[in-house]
Amino acid sequence: MVAQQLAADDRPEPVGVIMTGETAPYPRMPGGGISRRPLHFIILADCSGGMKGEKIQALNFAIADMLPHLAAWERDQEQAQVFIRAIAFATEPWWHIAEPQPVAQLGWKPLQPVPKGLTNMGPAFALAAQALGPGRIERRALRPAMLLITDGLATDPPGGFEAGLSALMAQPAGQAALRLAIAIGRDARSAALDRFIGDPGVPVLVADSSEDIADRLVAASLAVSRMSEVGADRGAVARRLFGTPDDVPSKIFDQDTIV
Amino acid sequence: MAADSTTDEVATWQVITGSARGAAHRASGLPNQDAVSSQDGPGGVVVAIADGHGHIRHFRSADGAALAVDVGCRAASRAASVLAADDTGEEDAERAGQELARSVVADWRSAVAGQLEQRPYTVEEQFILDLAADAPVIPYGSTLLVAVITARWLVCAQIGDGDMLAVRPDGRSFSPVAGDDRLDGRRTTSLCQPDALESFRTGAHDLRQVPLAALLLATDGYGNAQADEPWQPSVGRDLAELAACHDRHWFGQEIPGWAQRCASAEGSGDDATIALLLPEGG
Repeated sequence: MVAQQLAADDRPEPVGVIMTGETAPYPRMPGGGISRRPLHFIILADCSGGMKGEKIQALNFAIADMLPHLAAWERDQEQAQVFIRAIAFATEPWWHIAEPQPVAQLGWKPLQPVPKGLTNMGPAFALAAQALGPGRIERRALRPAMLLITDGLATDPPGGFEAGLSALMAQPAGQAALRLAIAIGRDARSAALDRFIGDPGVPVLVADSSEDIADRLVAASLAVSRMSEVGADRGAVARRLFGTPDDVPSKIFDQDTIV
Repeated sequence: MAADSTTDEVATWQVITGSARGAAHRASGLPNQDAVSSQDGPGGVVVAIADGHGHIRHFRSADGAALAVDVGCRAASRAASVLAADDTGEEDAERAGQELARSVVADWRSAVAGQLEQRPYTVEEQFILDLAADAPVIPYGSTLLVAVITARWLVCAQIGDGDMLAVRPDGRSFSPVAGDDRLDGRRTTSLCQPDALESFRTGAHDLRQVPLAALLLATDGYGNAQADEPWQPSVGRDLAELAACHDRHWFGQEIPGWAQRCASAEGSGDDATIALLLPEGG
């Protein structure tokens, strides 16, 4: 005898429903309470010597401008809480924001360029890899997002870029991460950035001028948010946001599904 | 594991379930793609829960989940009849778990094929299938967690994410099936994959040796809402306490609310389904 079987659409609302958005305590529910799934967003910002002046000012302004967009999305959607970290890099990388900060509470502290600093990306990837290692992010966390912003070609010593990227990709969370890149100036668009993204369906976003940086960052934040939503057709999101042609195979299409 | 106690008293088990549509599904117009079913027969009680994957590749996953719990309960009931025999030993119980997984995979694929005969893919669905170059069974992708409890045996089989938590009277808890490192919170194993049988995890436990206060089955919308990491120890402790002082009617009132809370925008936002098995007179 089938005691109970609930089909998908005709299931009645359960008795004792607590409606979405209600924050009343539920003292008799077992465990330590509930919370949204974390979405870790790591910004990797180029602070090499070439970023001095107008570029770094525009970048700081653009990041500060992007955060409210992400915070608004966090408020509006039903699944994720967004945590921001930031790595600044030049010849060496360093944590600009080391601990995950809730996006709604984050005030952006301006980045400063390193005089004569190079654009070594590999060590920045390796630093991010450490933060995404086993036990470093929650098991229930959504796929992380990473945003690389640079105005120049990688200046890593031979093998340095590949070693850092390999370290990142060796971490399951690093490999699964949605990786986006913004090139400030057409000259900064490189095959290295495509390798970082690792998906032909996701192009490098090019900011032709300092004024374009904010627009590209908003596009990136839209990509992060829309692609993190439940049941998202990421291929469709990529086509809509980036103009990816239909016939370009995207790895995004089959992520977050079966092994 | 050492026995806490032994008893010849036969417990009957009650199944209480709750399922809620995820807030994110509600916002995007997706249905609840979880399913739950249970049967109570002469051999024992069986329960199955399933979570349709929801991704656009799996556009019939709500159907896949419904078929999964149906065939899961049927196969588990057959296993219960085998396990109810007095002379069933540990190896027999373990084999019953493996046979349960084999039956489920074969029966689910057969059920999917039957539904496709009755309801072939539409032009739009076929377009998605072709775009992804997927086999016809892929759109039905679903997880499945199924448990059989007889007088002596707990036998479980699971493919994909979600959790089973066996709770002992002292509040300690354990998973009755082995873990799977491939389940990284973003991807899952599935009934629709070609090697589904190899991805099943099964377990058999002698309830005379390891008495239980409760058995929890939950889709990942429940576990992904839990703030504690890991959440299983505190949930196990609390469930043992609650089971000691409340009857099934109380749980029947509470569990739908637990599922709703986990599925809400303050929790995972994903469909959440809970099946709790409680012994009466155990």
